[in-house]
Amino acid sequence: MNLRGIQSLAMLLWGFQSELLAFAVPMALIWEGRFFFNRRWALTKQDFYLLADLTSVCLVLMIIFLFMNRTEYHFIRTLMQWLPILLFPLIITVGYSTNERLTLDVLFYSLRRQKQPVTQSWDLDYLLFGFLLVSSGTSKDIGSFYFPIAALLIFLSLLPLRSPRHSKRIWMLVCSLVFVSAFVTHTGIRETHLELRKRAQVWLSNWIQQRTNPLKSQTSIGQIGRLKASNEILYRIAAPEGGVVPGLLQEAVYDLSSENSWSILKPQFVKQAHSDDFTWDLEIPTTTDIPLDIYHEFHRENDLVPLPPGTARIQDLPALDIQKNYYGTIQAQGMVPSPRYQVTYQPGQNHTGPPAPSDTVKSRAYSGVFSKISAQGVLDSDQPLLSLQRFFRDFRYSLYQPSTIISSPIEDFLLNRKAGHCEFFATATVLMLREMGIPARYATGYAIQEYDDMLGMFVVRQRHAHAWALAYLDGRWRAVDTTPGIWLETESAEETLLQPALDLFANLTFLFQIWWNDQKQEDYEPYLFGLGALLMLLLIWRISTSEQIVVSTKATKEDEEDDTLHRGNQSPLFTLEAKLLARGYSRRPGEVFANWLKRIGYHEFLALIPSHNRLRFHPKGLTESEAKELAANVDTSIQQLNSEDMDLKTKSSSKKD
Amino acid sequence: MFKDWVYPAYARAMRPRKKPRKRRHTERGQLVLTGALLTAALGMNTESSFVYQLFALLLCVGIGSRITLRMARPNISIRRILPRYATAEQTFTYRIRTGNLGDESEYDLVVADQPTIKVPDRQQYRTEREPFEESRNAYDRFTGFHRFMYLQRQNTGIVITPGKAEEVAVKGYVDVEIEARPLRRGVVSFSETQVMHQDPLGLNFGLTHFENTETLLVLPKRYRLNPAWRVSGGRNFQPGGITAAWSVGDSDEFVALRDYRDGDSMRKIHWPSTSKSTARHQKPVVREYQDEFFARNALLLDLSSSNARVIEETIAVGASFALDLQNTDSMLDLIYLTDDGPRIITAGRGTSAVNEQLEALATVRSCHQPFSQLSHAVLGHCSLITGCIGVFSSWTPDHESLAHRIMAQSVSLRSLVVSDQELAAGPYTTLLTSSIQSDLLKA
Repeated sequence: MNLRGIQSLAMLLWGFQSELLAFAVPMALIWEGRFFFNRRWALTKQDFYLLADLTSVCLVLMIIFLFMNRTEYHFIRTLMQWLPILLFPLIITVGYSTNERLTLDVLFYSLRRQKQPVTQSWDLDYLLFGFLLVSSGTSKDIGSFYFPIAALLIFLSLLPLRSPRHSKRIWMLVCSLVFVSAFVTHTGIRETHLELRKRAQVWLSNWIQQRTNPLKSQTSIGQIGRLKASNEILYRIAAPEGGVVPGLLQEAVYDLSSENSWSILKPQFVKQAHSDDFTWDLEIPTTTDIPLDIYHEFHRENDLVPLPPGTARIQDLPALDIQKNYYGTIQAQGMVPSPRYQVTYQPGQNHTGPPAPSDTVKSRAYSGVFSKISAQGVLDSDQPLLSLQRFFRDFRYSLYQPSTIISSPIEDFLLNRKAGHCEFFATATVLMLREMGIPARYATGYAIQEYDDMLGMFVVRQRHAHAWALAYLDGRWRAVDTTPGIWLETESAEETLLQPALDLFANLTFLFQIWWNDQKQEDYEPYLFGLGALLMLLLIWRISTSEQIVVSTKATKEDEEDDTLHRGNQSPLFTLEAKLLARGYSRRPGEVFANWLKRIGYHEFLALIPSHNRLRFHPKGLTESEAKELAANVDTSIQQLNSEDMDLKTKSSSKKD
Repeated sequence: MFKDWVYPAYARAMRPRKKPRKRRHTERGQLVLTGALLTAALGMNTESSFVYQLFALLLCVGIGSRITLRMARPNISIRRILPRYATAEQTFTYRIRTGNLGDESEYDLVVADQPTIKVPDRQQYRTEREPFEESRNAYDRFTGFHRFMYLQRQNTGIVITPGKAEEVAVKGYVDVEIEARPLRRGVVSFSETQVMHQDPLGLNFGLTHFENTETLLVLPKRYRLNPAWRVSGGRNFQPGGITAAWSVGDSDEFVALRDYRDGDSMRKIHWPSTSKSTARHQKPVVREYQDEFFARNALLLDLSSSNARVIEETIAVGASFALDLQNTDSMLDLIYLTDDGPRIITAGRGTSAVNEQLEALATVRSCHQPFSQLSHAVLGHCSLITGCIGVFSSWTPDHESLAHRIMAQSVSLRSLVVSDQELAAGPYTTLLTSSIQSDLLKA
């Protein structure tokens, strides 16, 4: 009862902030209706159990839904915004029932079996109030009025708790001080956060360089210990119309090598013209182009788009713009979550820019190594690919790095260890190609090797991330992958036993997302409205037929009392009483009408008593005709008395005479 | 295993603090605190939401409430007024006289009396169980916290609901009514009284502590009895008669005069007759009194069982009979065995009041002395009694033979056996611990 008026204000604030006013207004009306409507439903504990279970099921379904669509909806924010709607039916049912609080066994299933009585209970009104305020605050676009309104609502909710020990003036003073200090505090929190973030960004950018930086690729070359890659599925690729799926997805290409990283000489990106809203033609389409569906949800607004080499067209990419650099790396901007994009590619092509002088720059750091290798006569610039194949024949694929830091890891890889992961092979290949005078670049992306029978698609996992060399041979760029073919099996040996189950779950989530994405709200609207109407009718029927109790709020009680007193005074029998009292028949204290009349011998008036009593004490009183009849009867009786009086008077006067 | 490991943690948490608490949250205060924690977690990123503003607000409300708690501390005195006894499982009220020593009226004080918390020892925690513990969920059973709390409540023995003083005038006092419910018989102790005052925002209570130690004797719980349970049996001669009771002298009812015999009390000499008769007989004349005949019953209590619940119920049934069999015309001997041997407490006809028996029952414990001691005590007493009610906590051949021997002395005996499971039919009535009240009303 303390939250009368305040709760509905909080609901309106929440509705306004979350753009859910269509829910908030009816909720606020239903809530306030409690204070004007004096009927309460006598619900049993079983009813509350059912309702609480329904609420829990809805909550769980919502959590699952949000988890599956977590890229589309912000998990916590959406949950918090919809939580008031989820909780409202339970809370309002308590409000309209004869219970005031809910014992914990209603909310916690595990407590329902115990024989010990559950005495702890929660006041859910305040819980809802808290959720409404938090939900209102989770909204991103919010005016500066949130803080004062939230403060006002909190102070108003605390007002009824004010102890009579403290005057209202003191209370208001404390509230003002709290308001000012809270304002200073939240401004301080905000400023501190901004400052910390600024410092952290500087700090982080000094230490972390992401692998997919289009300007620079940090390799694991030179790191020690074991490398770990995740099994998470990143891409699912399907070729409609039975097309061929390429072996690689190229994400970025680099031309400048340093000790353990690759970077680019020409960092400029050029915006690509749209062919359509979400379509970009990178090359002139040909009839031999092969279409591909790539299923992937981008998590960032601006991200690199992995594409098959030779991509001619990108379709349905949920981006505002795409831009391309000299090396053919595509970056999309202003992306929104969407599970799929389509590309067409030209097999055997690679649209990275034509060779530049930087593509033949030899590594100074490793010049000694390559002179040693050249001295062995391994490298043959006439048959570069064959000589590379021969050279790497004895090399092994290994995820293990040496346990000690080695000053020159590529040298160690080429001359001593002869084992390493794809970055070693790709880096060494590029450098060796350049030693042979062939323009070469370093490319990163993913290998497309694993086929999933359940989906009928290729899947690309995080651990399929790959690096390879691009060599400019016969007038076009060709991918040269010298990493031993066994690398995929070596990596898949790292899978846990749980992997099939995890994959199944991931695939089911994926299928649901695809299905959900294809659904259109319009198709379901008639059914939803129909179902809603049906449920509403059922609810109205249940509400109207359930057992109800009229509770007397203070105001109605007083009204009823006034009415009773008023009605009692109206009874015509009181005139008769006055008449009899005037005659000298005193009525004893506490003597009921009937006894009095019997005592004084007016038995003929007893017939009037039942009607009088009904008028006086029965909640429904008398009908109009009955009231008239009573009044008429009383009149007759009074006339009878009057005539008796007259008789007496005449007798006494005749006696005197 | 886990219970052994977790016991010290529970015991440490429940032990009284060295430094008493200065404040306590109200229900709304807890909500604000929880809200502050939740918003702190949700609002960490000030970029994505404005929840941090709510956090700042709740934090400042909480801090403001704590600071303002120091305002207007009450200046009062406390005196507890306890009844002489309470009865187990019967809610009673007592008063705490709260006086205002300050220069301003005090408003809205909550007076909370604190019993002395008695933490269960490790052995008790390991062996005893909470009733219906098996119906609790697996987690609660595993952690055993509810068992610990139940045992602590039982050991402490009383649950006290705080009372409220709306207004205490300057230099005046009010009696705050406190409701309490003893959970078991025996002695319960009170340690202190706390007076709580609220801060202006109503989120915290400030506590003022008053050391206020006292004890209260809680009598055993009692059941209503069917009148048919009254022992049958006639009256018989009671040596000493009522004189043993309310006066050192003799009964008024004398029937004759006779010559003095050696051993007669000087008080019995009837002087008027003696003055006339001595000349002739040289002997004083004494008054001869009506011999006293009235019913004297025994209530035999057997506390030999090792089942604590059965023992408690046996004592409760015993106490119910002790009170029910009292009347002005009869005497009742309560006979039971203690570690120091058999004990007989007689009440009725002025010998002593029933409360002595109930007090004894309030503190009695189960006793494992040989049953023969009890048999000897009862059989030796049989010559004085006409009826006997035996409340037994088990039924063995020893019990059966005692019953036979009591009845052989023409004392009418009714045997009741308290048990937590059905017993084979026998010369007794079984009272199941789960349904004692209905069993006793059935008769």
